[in-house]
Amino acid sequence: MIKTDVIIIGGGATGTGVARDLALRGIDHCLIEKKDLAAGATGACHGLLHSGGRYAVEDRESAVECIQENAILRRIGSKCVEQTEGLFVRLPGDTEEYRDLFLEGCHEAGIETELLNSSQALELVPNLNPNTTEAVKVPDASIDPFRLCMLNVESSKNSGGRVFTHHEVVDIVTHKGRCAGVRARDEFTSEIEEIQGKVIVNATGAWGDQIATMAGQEVQMSLSKGSLIIANHRLANMVLNRLRPAANGDIIVPNETVSLAGTTSIRVDNPENLCVEDSEISEIRSEAARMLPDFDGVRLVRSYTGVRPLLKAKDPSGGDRAITRGFRVVDHKNGLFSILGGKLTTYRLMAEKLTDAVMDHFGISVPCTTAELPLEGQEALSGYPISKRLRELEDMMCECELVPSSKVRQVIEEAGTRNISDIQHRTRLGMGPCQGGFCTYRALGLMQETGRMNPEEALDALRSFLQRRYKGTRSLLWGNQLREEQLVEGIYLSLLGMAEHEV
Amino acid sequence: MKFDVAVIGSGMSGLMASIYLAERGVSTAVVSRGNPICSISSGCIDIAGSGPDTLKAIDSFPGEHPYHKVGKEALLESIEYFQELMSKHGLEYDGDSRKNRSILTPIGKRRVTSLVPFTMKAAETADGDAFHIISFKDIKDFFPSYLTGRFPDAQVSVFDAGTHTTVGIATKMDNDDFLVSFVNWIREQEIARDKIAIPAILGITKTREIHDRLERDTGRTFFEIPTLPPSIPGLRLYRSLRKIAEGKGVSFFSSAEISDFGKERKKILGLTIKKPGRPDYVDAEAFILATGSFVSGGLFSDRNKFSETVFDIPVHSPAGEELFNEDFFKLGHPIEKSGIRVNDRFIPEDSEFENLFAAGSILAHSETMKYGCGHGMAISTGVAAAKHAEEYIR
Repeated sequence: MIKTDVIIIGGGATGTGVARDLALRGIDHCLIEKKDLAAGATGACHGLLHSGGRYAVEDRESAVECIQENAILRRIGSKCVEQTEGLFVRLPGDTEEYRDLFLEGCHEAGIETELLNSSQALELVPNLNPNTTEAVKVPDASIDPFRLCMLNVESSKNSGGRVFTHHEVVDIVTHKGRCAGVRARDEFTSEIEEIQGKVIVNATGAWGDQIATMAGQEVQMSLSKGSLIIANHRLANMVLNRLRPAANGDIIVPNETVSLAGTTSIRVDNPENLCVEDSEISEIRSEAARMLPDFDGVRLVRSYTGVRPLLKAKDPSGGDRAITRGFRVVDHKNGLFSILGGKLTTYRLMAEKLTDAVMDHFGISVPCTTAELPLEGQEALSGYPISKRLRELEDMMCECELVPSSKVRQVIEEAGTRNISDIQHRTRLGMGPCQGGFCTYRALGLMQETGRMNPEEALDALRSFLQRRYKGTRSLLWGNQLREEQLVEGIYLSLLGMAEHEV
Repeated sequence: MKFDVAVIGSGMSGLMASIYLAERGVSTAVVSRGNPICSISSGCIDIAGSGPDTLKAIDSFPGEHPYHKVGKEALLESIEYFQELMSKHGLEYDGDSRKNRSILTPIGKRRVTSLVPFTMKAAETADGDAFHIISFKDIKDFFPSYLTGRFPDAQVSVFDAGTHTTVGIATKMDNDDFLVSFVNWIREQEIARDKIAIPAILGITKTREIHDRLERDTGRTFFEIPTLPPSIPGLRLYRSLRKIAEGKGVSFFSSAEISDFGKERKKILGLTIKKPGRPDYVDAEAFILATGSFVSGGLFSDRNKFSETVFDIPVHSPAGEELFNEDFFKLGHPIEKSGIRVNDRFIPEDSEFENLFAAGSILAHSETMKYGCGHGMAISTGVAAAKHAEEYIR
């Protein structure tokens, strides 16, 4: 039995952000996540640190929050933010009226803009659609959500906070009508961990209502599915948005060696077992190619989907695109606090507001410092430029993302890793063009050599990884990606003998 | 340049076809774009199925399968022909093509195949059979713990080769001084077993010599475990076949991108090979298309539209089916049925040409992974297409 003051449920950006905030304010806490850190909407987003431009016209309040948080995250999280800057690209057919509204909205929200003519825009992004009418430069950036969560957790751990990943809350224990703790099941051993706490924070995003229900409460949300595709090249060095009202396929984000494009918006009832439809892929690809024609012939390596946990619309007629990206803290008055809505860019602010509410509840007054102090643990990430990686070329475990085995070994030994995705998120192993086709076998080999896994566990992990990888690429199997897939199948099914034989 | 036959593709089927033709005095060219899939394969010759009997497995293959066009007799003959060629070249293939056997994979599973290079001959052991493992410090693609988990009695000795890749270690093995230090090191190890498993790094060019010397000087039996691509036994297989073909006078046009071809009525006249400056022209009486399936680039898929990449001849594709299974581990995606349909003379049925023959995994319904017939199909259809091409030009 573990006793603590605050139990945080959910290991996404918000949950880990709350953990960091509580840690910095000296409150004992513990975080429970049913899968891995950033396994929900956080890890399934496009990794865009919004300037707020996207919301400047339709959702001013969110736009203001975004630009303020954007500046803060650039400052405190320089090692997980790549300061790419962004363009809002106006193509033939996109109206001047919207451009004017956009410039005005940005101005009022405090978002710095620079209007560029076509040739200025093409100078910044030479492979941009040559028919581009004009573009507006904004301070968009690319952010690594996995790193972000890990660094938040680092502060928590440094202050003695405990983090249970792969533990699913199965029950909220109540005492005289108030929340008193949780029971969580270990995904691997099925053992139940009992944790007592004075306050429970529900930071589970799309799963918020499920958790609230366990405590006899309900929260109202709209769940909106958004899908993305990953191209095997970094096609542009800036974030590209369409200068028009938010629509499908209007964002392209460079992310280390690859490019992400999205999104879509489809109402769903349940956040589990979602898949990407062929029609979504076609639409994202063709829209992305309108801004960046190279997207048309590029090899797509993966598609994935996440669920936005949006606040319930006040006026449902506008569709999910029109719902505010704002957020709300709910005090259920029984020791449970829920945080609803919001988005990755504003995760820190959301955590601050929620932590304020919890501090009020405890009657303690300690100010929030998460906006001032740099994220802890960045030093370990910082000395990792490409020149340093190339020095270990001989020892490269993941050739796509240049991850040497020494780095993987370090993560396995230091982070107590039990899971291949832990390694992937900490090092980017397997996140490049081959999507782990070669290196996962190696990383699992190393897990065994270091005694973290026995061979049966490693083979199970390899099997589930391959199935997950296949699910992400199955709807993209044409052109060169089909060739890559046949190669990977040759390796695992034939050479390693993992196939199920019928003949 | 003018040849009797031009073979397109330097994989198993193309090389076997070219060797067969050259041996019969037919002037032959091989035009290839890059290294073939067989050069990164395990080097084993899969013939058919996963049961004990290959010919029985073929009986259960669907009627459209290319093996039925080859015929069992011709299949066995062509495999024997392959074995003879390889023996003369010093890279013996062990096994009986009527039977399957199993070899150990790097994750400790068993995989069914029919013929293996002599370096894997001793791999066929009962599960209880004991062996020792020799591995290499920080080797990238071989982790003995995958094996020791399944064979707890197996002890591991680790040699520091000073390099981490299989190609790097295999290259060093070809050097005598290095080999001597390796042999001396083995003799210092405490090895309780007679049999030693080793990742497939026993040299690239001097494998016979290295293997025999290891066995002689240590008094143990060695067997190789093929590793992830680039897999050395596949590289040896490819290099050997290519050397054999060169020895018999086959002309090679490598790194050759075919940009165009000439035709007259029902005949292909020649290929245009893109080159900086003036292109090369390869004219021939007959052509063998052995460019492989999607992975090799012989076929190309643009979502639901498939094409053949050299002559743009129609590709047969499965109709009205999902192209891909949901389960990664289930063999045989329906898309693998697609390919070039041929008549009994291995002439593409849906094309206009009378002097074009097709062989290897580009053939429709070959489904080499599902039916476990990869290299066996390539060898036998390569030889069969060559026979028909020879008949045609005579």
